[in-house]
Amino acid sequence: MIPDYKNGDFVVILRSPFCIRRFKIGDTIIFNHIHYGVLIKTIENILPTGELFVRGKVENSLDSRRLGYVHINSVIGKVIWLIGKE
Amino acid sequence: MLYQILEKLDNKFIFPEAQAHCDIPCGIYDPSTAQIDALTVVRMMDLMAGLQGGDDKSKIEYHNSMSRYIAVKEEHAEKAKHEIRVIWGDYFKKDKHPNVDDLVQKIMQLGSKCRQSVDRETGLAFVEAINEFSAKFWETKGITTKKAKAPYAPALEMVYPVL
Repeated sequence: MIPDYKNGDFVVILRSPFCIRRFKIGDTIIFNHIHYGVLIKTIENILPTGELFVRGKVENSLDSRRLGYVHINSVIGKVIWLIGKE
Repeated sequence: MLYQILEKLDNKFIFPEAQAHCDIPCGIYDPSTAQIDALTVVRMMDLMAGLQGGDDKSKIEYHNSMSRYIAVKEEHAEKAKHEIRVIWGDYFKKDKHPNVDDLVQKIMQLGSKCRQSVDRETGLAFVEAINEFSAKFWETKGITTKKAKAPYAPALEMVYPVL
């Protein structure tokens, strides 16, 4: 089950490049987007080129149809632990 | 307890932030801008063809005009693609509107081809595909559409909502 991320939550990440070869569908990553800044999204698909199709959890979240594919070079890290507010 | 510790550390060291949700959403969607962009692409193709048959190509005016037509064609083909992507990504839902993905893919490919070439048939196909997308969009809102000629060059038949 993919956790919801709420305002104020903390996440611990495995920083790039240590996580690069360990991506799989369902992983949650933090990456830099040229227009939207630093985002946290889930990997829905990994293209043969290595680019990532990402989506958010809720219906109105942006996904790669709007964001574009995420290049590995823009990945900051992979989420390995969520410490929620509640 | 762990959260409280992290909170105190964050207050002191200011951890970097990531956004999970970054769309409002405003709910304002309209494919008409994409339709106008596609019309502009065809218009530029026509102007380029007209220039080709006219002025002396060694003249600086020819190169200036042709460069500007090319730049506008590039800009508006990409804008049309962007507008369609936004409506497709933010408005259409795969489970509720299953027939849109292929049409969007077709629009993307036609838009790219319009940038790469000056083939008018490709431009017309681009306009027609975006018209089809527009009709599907208005249908989801229960709004009927009509076809009418655009009141400006290249005066192509366009889909308009009956509001």
